[in-house]
Amino acid sequence: MEHQDENKAGIGGMINPRRYGIERVAYLLMRLSGLGLLAYFIGHIYETSSILKGEVGWSEFLELTQTTEGHAILAIVIAMCVFHTVNGIRVMLGHGGVGVGKPARPDYPYEPASQNARHKMGIYSAIVLAAVAMLYGLAVMFGE
Amino acid sequence: MRESIIMKIHYGTALAAVALVAVHVLMRLTQGFAESLEYQNVIANYKFLPYAGMLEIILILLSIHGFNGLRVILLELKQGRAYEKAVSYGCVAAMIGLIAYGSRTILMVNMGMI
Repeated sequence: MEHQDENKAGIGGMINPRRYGIERVAYLLMRLSGLGLLAYFIGHIYETSSILKGEVGWSEFLELTQTTEGHAILAIVIAMCVFHTVNGIRVMLGHGGVGVGKPARPDYPYEPASQNARHKMGIYSAIVLAAVAMLYGLAVMFGE
Repeated sequence: MRESIIMKIHYGTALAAVALVAVHVLMRLTQGFAESLEYQNVIANYKFLPYAGMLEIILILLSIHGFNGLRVILLELKQGRAYEKAVSYGCVAAMIGLIAYGSRTILMVNMGMI
């Protein structure tokens, strides 16, 4: 018998943010921001290694990043970093049982106690703080 | 290693990295952003041993957290004994490679080998 993956929807199912509310959007943003930050981190390690080429090599590489596009990418990185941090703390607290409500018998309409207003506020706060941090970053980078 | 222990490491590295990255970013803002990235300033940062040590710790913490996060995402996507082993060992190898590459920069600049 041919082997079939349990995860039949694949990447399409994983990145679909619909049907499950803001928690599902947070799940997607957490993964996207995580992957984005890992890509930036690897790029940053490579970028900083250009200092080994001396002042000329450092300045040349820095010129590539000190452009409007470079600043825009850095602003997105700041937003990803803040969202990932704030939402990550929310997830950690949730895993530790903080703010997820008390265990109770599942009664109609079967609303999960863990998906409550406190955690929704945490997600919206993460999005707002990410936007504010991005704007602050843009002000610092373009203000000079 | 048990997944519960791996997740504790994942969360521990995250919390430690948040604190240290905040210091790293604040160092850029103590001077002007562009000024702090001037060659001489960056060299001085690397030669200041406590700061170089902090960069090394950030490198290790973020590499562990980042590649474990990637491993978790890839394991959510697909399962299977061979696939899971390949993903886990691949992420550990990439993590070691990145730590080695970043440490090389920190050590060489700190020891004045440029």
